[in-house]
Amino acid sequence: MSIPGQLAYQLNVNVLGKAALRVQRWQLERKLSKPGTWKHETLNAPIDTAPWLKELITKHYLTGRYANGARKVAWVTSGAPVEFLKALDYFLIYPENHGAVCGIRKVGEEMCTHAEDFGYSRDICSYARCDIGSVLSGKTPVGRLPKPDLLLCCNNICQTVLYWYQVLAHHFGCPLIVIDTPFIYDEAREHDIASVKRQIEDAFPIAERVAERTIEPKRLEDVMLRSRDAVDLWLKVLQTGRNHPSPITAFDEFIHMAPIVEMRGESATVDYYSAMLSALEQRAKDGVGALKHEKKRILWDNLPIWYRIRPLGEKLAEHGVAMVASTYTNAWGELAELINADHPMDSMAKCYLHPILNRGTGHKLQTMQKMLTEYEADGVILHSDRSCKPYSIGQIDQRNAVSDKLGKPALLLEADHTDGRAYSVEQADTRISAFLELLGV
Amino acid sequence: MPASVDLPSRTTVIERFKGQGGRIAAVLPIHYPRALFRAFGMLPIEVWGPPGVDKSTGDAHLQAYACSTVRAGLSFILSGAGEVADAILVPHTCDSLQALASVLLDFTKPHQMVLTLYVPKAERASDLEFLGKELRRVFGRLVELTGQRPTDAELHAAMDREQQADEVLARLLSERGKLGVGNREFYGVVRSREYLPAEEFASLARAALDKWAGAPLPKRTPILATGIMPEPMDVLDALDEAGLSIVADDFAGSGRRLYKASTAHDPFDRMAKTLLSGSPDPTRGCGIQPRIDHLVDLAKRTGARGALFYEIKFCEPEAFYVPLVTRGLQAAGVPCLAVEVDITDPMPDQLVTRIEAFAESLS
Ligand code: SF4
Ligand code: SF4
Repeated sequence: MSIPGQLAYQLNVNVLGKAALRVQRWQLERKLSKPGTWKHETLNAPIDTAPWLKELITKHYLTGRYANGARKVAWVTSGAPVEFLKALDYFLIYPENHGAVCGIRKVGEEMCTHAEDFGYSRDICSYARCDIGSVLSGKTPVGRLPKPDLLLCCNNICQTVLYWYQVLAHHFGCPLIVIDTPFIYDEAREHDIASVKRQIEDAFPIAERVAERTIEPKRLEDVMLRSRDAVDLWLKVLQTGRNHPSPITAFDEFIHMAPIVEMRGESATVDYYSAMLSALEQRAKDGVGALKHEKKRILWDNLPIWYRIRPLGEKLAEHGVAMVASTYTNAWGELAELINADHPMDSMAKCYLHPILNRGTGHKLQTMQKMLTEYEADGVILHSDRSCKPYSIGQIDQRNAVSDKLGKPALLLEADHTDGRAYSVEQADTRISAFLELLGV
Repeated sequence: MPASVDLPSRTTVIERFKGQGGRIAAVLPIHYPRALFRAFGMLPIEVWGPPGVDKSTGDAHLQAYACSTVRAGLSFILSGAGEVADAILVPHTCDSLQALASVLLDFTKPHQMVLTLYVPKAERASDLEFLGKELRRVFGRLVELTGQRPTDAELHAAMDREQQADEVLARLLSERGKLGVGNREFYGVVRSREYLPAEEFASLARAALDKWAGAPLPKRTPILATGIMPEPMDVLDALDEAGLSIVADDFAGSGRRLYKASTAHDPFDRMAKTLLSGSPDPTRGCGIQPRIDHLVDLAKRTGARGALFYEIKFCEPEAFYVPLVTRGLQAAGVPCLAVEVDITDPMPDQLVTRIEAFAESLS
């Protein structure tokens, strides 16, 4: 670590940045709390904690901007076991989340094009194209991404990340740790769990060598506890969607999931979700829904269409349709019970083997059916995401099962989570309108 | 040109094997233990597509952005043609095959036993240990299916036979540049490894080697070819016509399955070591530089003057490697052409034109 790097980091992140962001948050909070400021016809005001979320995310990327030279940086996949890296004080970048930011800021296409110009096929995941495009062009909507000292790739979400991280390892020339999680078609076997556990154990010395320090068991335990608390709170946040009317929609969840994905194991994340939960519980108690008039409730399957979140949310809200839950945001909460800080290695191995994306298509259907019941939802939109084969292939049968066996309307909506070129507004509108008719709104 | 090698068709081989009381396993790409099946009296027949199949059955379950190998594969399994199989094995190769196995197990539920095999994505000690156990699990499933329990000696004997077949295949591929035979006929023999019993393949390939070694060498430009497989095989005719000869093979189905012999005492350890010993393979998430180094070395050893990247549309594992690996080869003086196909579509004219232009640029 360099002294000028440390100084720049402390000054820009912990002194100036912190103060400026706090002021911004305070201003936004004041603006939102002024009576009469919110005038939307169909949607109620955003959740009170929204300005705080903005502060958290901006601080995260600001920290990233000055991290090189001050802290070790690791780029990690969204489902990776990051607790040991946190315990070593790595600053973590989640390229998938960066892809989501590109999607939200509507620069996904531009980033993808940089990668395509280099020869990457338009058929590979748009998160990967966004990230590689950003690396190659040096462009990003978040200012600057720090270079990694270490890469951690866990394929419990897809195999795509294996190839993608090999590209990154080649580009940055830094060590790459692969945690290879056997796919669970029905149930995890002992050798599956043992293998993941051993790989995590084998990863420790590599991460320690790069960090030039050793993992303190107490620190690891603390990080795990904070991870578990955050996951637990996140699940409770999602479950407020079971209220009628629902105080939250899946569209809100997509935005508010950033901390649980990229700031797991931090106390700020626990504090944030704790406050968010209180705000939502209050809304539920007061009978305040996310929509002004909730008539029907639906479930979302797969990643969001980041660049269409607002228009889609508004279109549904116009018809009184609340998207009360999603299998995607649920994925970051459903494994809470598997985290056990008393048995960190075993529980990490089990936990990281079981994300929905590492389990069979039948399990996903069961999750959908369970959520339809628990959230008393009337139908499902399954985003058939051209980029994400592990999430999407199987949806035709899942859709058929939901509509034929449960008799609930189910729409397969063709799109891509970040690349707008795979989304036809007219076609999607027509299909959504037909779906709304089936819902009877 | 010598008389062509007399290859039995898949149907003939299947009927003959079944007629002798054997069982058939339909196996999807790529890496799996042939010997394990043979020790149970089962013949693995590989399903790489196949290209001629009507995709509509598969399309009722899979979106259009699943690759054509997977869509054709599912259609094939669900069609009458798949009925000959007593079991289906889907190795874990990529997200699309992973999903295919899952759809089979959870939704279409064919009457045959559906087996999965998780092939680790690295070659560390933990991967070897895992794979050994995973192979034992598949062994257990085959015991359930057949009621047989091959001994360690029987497993080793089956592995010895496969090893011999692999050695002949390696000879075929390494001596390719000296063989007087066209691409189409050559790959007919190479790809018969996908369905012939190992011992039959070994003797047929030896005979082919003898025959072709003495034949006059056609004047062709030597190239390296990589991708999943040369399918539809019309591409081989196009290469023949363009005057290109594949002398360096990095196809997932052939060149990347030249496994190294292992002497491990435990049959499952031996199988695991063998399976993880192939050349750098994108479907197993290999490093970029090791793959570049391997291909550059292969091109240099065989005298290949250019490299053809013959890719299947929507095949992510391959697609990720193309930009950097082609640059690596080009930097080493090996010009590259990357093309993309849907194996179930007829060969597009545009592709033939590109191959011809590539051939001209090399000559
Ligand atoms: S393929 Fe799917 S799971 Fe994998 S990185 Fe892309 S969006 Fe995420
Ligand atoms: S062609 Fe590629 S994507 Fe398709 S099954 Fe083979 S490896 Fe998987």
